[in-house]
Amino acid sequence: MLSREEVLKIAKLARLTLTEDEIAFYQKQLTRVLGHIQDLNQVQTSKEAFVQHVPNDAESFREDRAAPFANPEGLMRNAPAVENDSFLLPTIVEHS
Amino acid sequence: MEFGTQTIQELLAGYRAKNFKPTEVVERYLKNISERDEKLNSFLQVRPEETLKRARTLDAQIDNMSTLPLFGIPLAVKDNFLVNGWQATAGSKVLSGYISPYTATSVERLEAMGAVVVGKVNCDEFAMGSSNENSAFGPVRNPWDLERVPGGSSGGSSAAVAAGLATVSLGTDTGGSIRQPASLCGLVGLKPTYGRVSRYGIVSYASSLDQVGPFSRTVWDSARVMEVMSGFDPRDATSSKRSVPKFTEELNTNSKRTFKLGVSRAWLEGVDSDVAKSFDSALEVFKKMGCEIVEIDLPHTKYALSTYYLIAPSEASSNLARYDGVHYGYRTQSAKSSEELYSRSRGEGIGREVKLRIMLGTYALSAGYYDAFYLKANQVRRKIQEDFEKAFTQCDFVVSPTSPSTAFKLGEKTDDPLKMYLSDIFTLPVNLAGLPGLSMPCGLDSRNLPIGFQLIGKPFGEAELFLASHQYEQARGQFALPSMLKGKG
Amino acid sequence: MSLEKYESVIGLEVHAQLMTQSKMFCRCPNQFGSSPNTNVCPVCTGQPGSLPVINKKAIELGVRAAVALSCEIHPESVFARKNYFYPDLPKGYQISQYERPYSTQGHIVVRLKSGDEKRIGITRIHFEEDAGKSNHESYGTLVNLNRAGVPLIEIVSEPDMRNAHEAGQYLRALHSILRYADICDGNMEEGNFRCDANISVRLRGTEKFGTKVELKNINSFKFVEKAIEYEIQRQVFAIENGEKIIQQTRSWNSGKNVTEVMREKEQAHDYRYFPEPDLPKLMISSKWFEQIKKEMPELPKEACERFKKAFELSDYDASVLTSSKELAKYFEAVVAHCKNGKASANWVMNELLGRLNAAGREIGDTPVSETQLAALIKKIDSGEISGKIAKTVFEEMFATSKDASSIIKDKGLVQISDPAALESVVRKIIEGNPSQFAEYKAGKVKLLGFFVGQAMKETKGQANPALLNELVKKLLDS
Repeated sequence: MLSREEVLKIAKLARLTLTEDEIAFYQKQLTRVLGHIQDLNQVQTSKEAFVQHVPNDAESFREDRAAPFANPEGLMRNAPAVENDSFLLPTIVEHS
Repeated sequence: MEFGTQTIQELLAGYRAKNFKPTEVVERYLKNISERDEKLNSFLQVRPEETLKRARTLDAQIDNMSTLPLFGIPLAVKDNFLVNGWQATAGSKVLSGYISPYTATSVERLEAMGAVVVGKVNCDEFAMGSSNENSAFGPVRNPWDLERVPGGSSGGSSAAVAAGLATVSLGTDTGGSIRQPASLCGLVGLKPTYGRVSRYGIVSYASSLDQVGPFSRTVWDSARVMEVMSGFDPRDATSSKRSVPKFTEELNTNSKRTFKLGVSRAWLEGVDSDVAKSFDSALEVFKKMGCEIVEIDLPHTKYALSTYYLIAPSEASSNLARYDGVHYGYRTQSAKSSEELYSRSRGEGIGREVKLRIMLGTYALSAGYYDAFYLKANQVRRKIQEDFEKAFTQCDFVVSPTSPSTAFKLGEKTDDPLKMYLSDIFTLPVNLAGLPGLSMPCGLDSRNLPIGFQLIGKPFGEAELFLASHQYEQARGQFALPSMLKGKG
Repeated sequence: MSLEKYESVIGLEVHAQLMTQSKMFCRCPNQFGSSPNTNVCPVCTGQPGSLPVINKKAIELGVRAAVALSCEIHPESVFARKNYFYPDLPKGYQISQYERPYSTQGHIVVRLKSGDEKRIGITRIHFEEDAGKSNHESYGTLVNLNRAGVPLIEIVSEPDMRNAHEAGQYLRALHSILRYADICDGNMEEGNFRCDANISVRLRGTEKFGTKVELKNINSFKFVEKAIEYEIQRQVFAIENGEKIIQQTRSWNSGKNVTEVMREKEQAHDYRYFPEPDLPKLMISSKWFEQIKKEMPELPKEACERFKKAFELSDYDASVLTSSKELAKYFEAVVAHCKNGKASANWVMNELLGRLNAAGREIGDTPVSETQLAALIKKIDSGEISGKIAKTVFEEMFATSKDASSIIKDKGLVQISDPAALESVVRKIIEGNPSQFAEYKAGKVKLLGFFVGQAMKETKGQANPALLNELVKKLLDS
């Protein structure tokens, strides 16, 4: 069973604030899923045989030509806060 | 004339014959939406003025319509696609109010060829789910039985077409999210080969698995949408340069071919009896057409669930890191530190199932676990892919029921994520192997709920998939309509 | 404090922005100084649904760098995601390279002030994209994403440097190579050539590495050696005081001339690296590689050899003159205008560079242009002024940026080469110094120098020395 500390550690890495109920729920469900996933250990695999999901004929590169984006206002309009044309994150008094 | 159940072919014929104009058709569909969608909750956004404006420009082009293969076709688009000026919530509170600054390539291509976007439709949050019960904007209901789920994650896309609110729709399929809802709603749903259709403009869930695909009533319609939408996109480095055949042309020749269908009985264990019966009946239809059924072995498909639930959440945990309330999206009002600004925004804005997968993925990629989890899963994935490669030396398609059951009741599986994941056992391996998979309706169960038959093709074998399923469709005849549409055209 | 007992172990990580027209993974212009959030698009702002596509030119420049640094280039390498949260990282991950970078195992040979050469190893070079910029104001943090997505190569050295001077020389040599090969603009102030140092100390003769401290924010060549030296001393002092060196990130405070602990970002990051699923493997074919090698601009070492031959310069002189592309270009322009390689070398190295260094200026900031210097040299060669006078003129040119012609005119410094005029001066001196004249006539020929000196003084140093010498001798002997 995944410990509460481990769940909180993962939540911190993933930047997710959890309620007490959620911590308990995720503890249980993560443990279950991780338990089920152990079946992969039954499969003999080799290190080199990794899936190449990208089609062989996919184009890897583009030419180095600048082309400004047509709708820059569209990008800023969804910002929660803007100041001086920049994205603004308010200063919050830090807890020590 | 009632509108809602016409196919693309029928609408195009009607336009050509000047029986009606795009504005008339679109008006009728918008009316259907306003009348029927309250019960279904499949639409998240409609913009009637915009839509009619577009339809009017098409009215003026009716004499040119031969250059527009999707002329005046009402199209619903899953809300995890970006369409300039429309919202894109991906079914999540984190993107509530987000207005797309650009349009996804797939939608751009369809619109350029005459399609009319009638609305953005509901889905499981960030495309994670098998029942459309994970949406922040309420569940979608199945037009065949309003107490039941339409499937997911593209539940809205499926319900909308099934209920006559759009002629075709677009969804995404990462582990079955087009095929399974198509199966549960009695529609044709296609997940193309990975790399066949551009992913540019789709809210990414699992980058190595996501694909865009159509929902339609017929195979021909699906082929039409695919031939317009597919093909290399310079904005997607994973899109293939392989040429796109004129799929409908080949269907129009009505050639009759025979195929070898591969069945793995071991894989099919645990399926509902009605589903099994219907599946076997469909096999009989194929046999009558001269096709051969061969027994094949897919020894690693039993690991598909574990493989998928390591790879997809890992990629998702990274793809969803951008939803932090800094540059767009939901930002919490209750942060007491800069770190809390991130974690409260994400904690409050993201739903339960998505958070579960983010945590699973974060764990699987974290220091010390990468080899045992993500790397190992991709190695097993290779084995699954190899199973299919081997099977395709013995058959043209691998076939299965699309889903082990028909539409289940709302709330039936929501308490048990693992139970929900099992809805996808037949669809998951197809994404893992990057293959094309098509689901088509093959029967009804004792409760009058649709059952789907899945054909899995070789890489870039969409043309063959269309041919085989089109032939079956002709042999099967017209498929039933949901009761809410009985009596309506 | 016994610094001598210790040696420092220094490794440098350099991030160099590549000189491309567009960004690494999108078509936004790669331009410095635009108004905030104007060189942005869905890709570099991490909008939902956006995808990266690799800039071919960025790869070419990276391969050029690897060739110039004698590195091995891998035909197959992999982009990877480095996952962490920060306001200037809109996707929540940076596309970089991790386990399989495109290039490894190279070196640079640097020249030290002692005259010795030292080979500094290069562990690896890899591609990555730059982050945006966060400005912390009193009321909040302002994020500008213009820089997000700009192509970078990260060049990681082996920890082969043992003092601040070696580190400084490595950095200058690397900077020069990248500029010569048109890979990077190398403007530290604009942030397109950034350096972080990993510094540890240990007692001389010991094998074990000390705890290393990362030093960031070294944003000008002026500070590099100062900052490193300070940090070395700080560590030695701490150890001598019985303190443990804490592994941390520090930054150079150029106002206080100290290194300080940086604002705590996080403890050890878990970046959760995995291969970038939105991109195929990076394939560099041998054909492409050969083409890039062929199109390689001249490198400093090649320029040095060329200068030695073309201008008959010593190894030392040639290496100084080719130490930076600007300087080499400046020198070549001077020679082109005055056609005198040796003189150009002399003047650039001794007069110009000396004064520039003293004033803390770079060649890009010279008050004397190539054509101005060339004009001065031509005046010496034509006899218009003497070499000695020219030095005075040059001093004035450096201070005022005026042309030699106007200075000479204003100060009346034209060399006197008129034999008649000089003769009358010489006669005057001879007549005014009868006893020395008598001594000369009696055999004290050394007094020639006395008469030349006096005559020169009389002309305020403007007499043509060769002619004056000749005339004095002639008149004394007649």
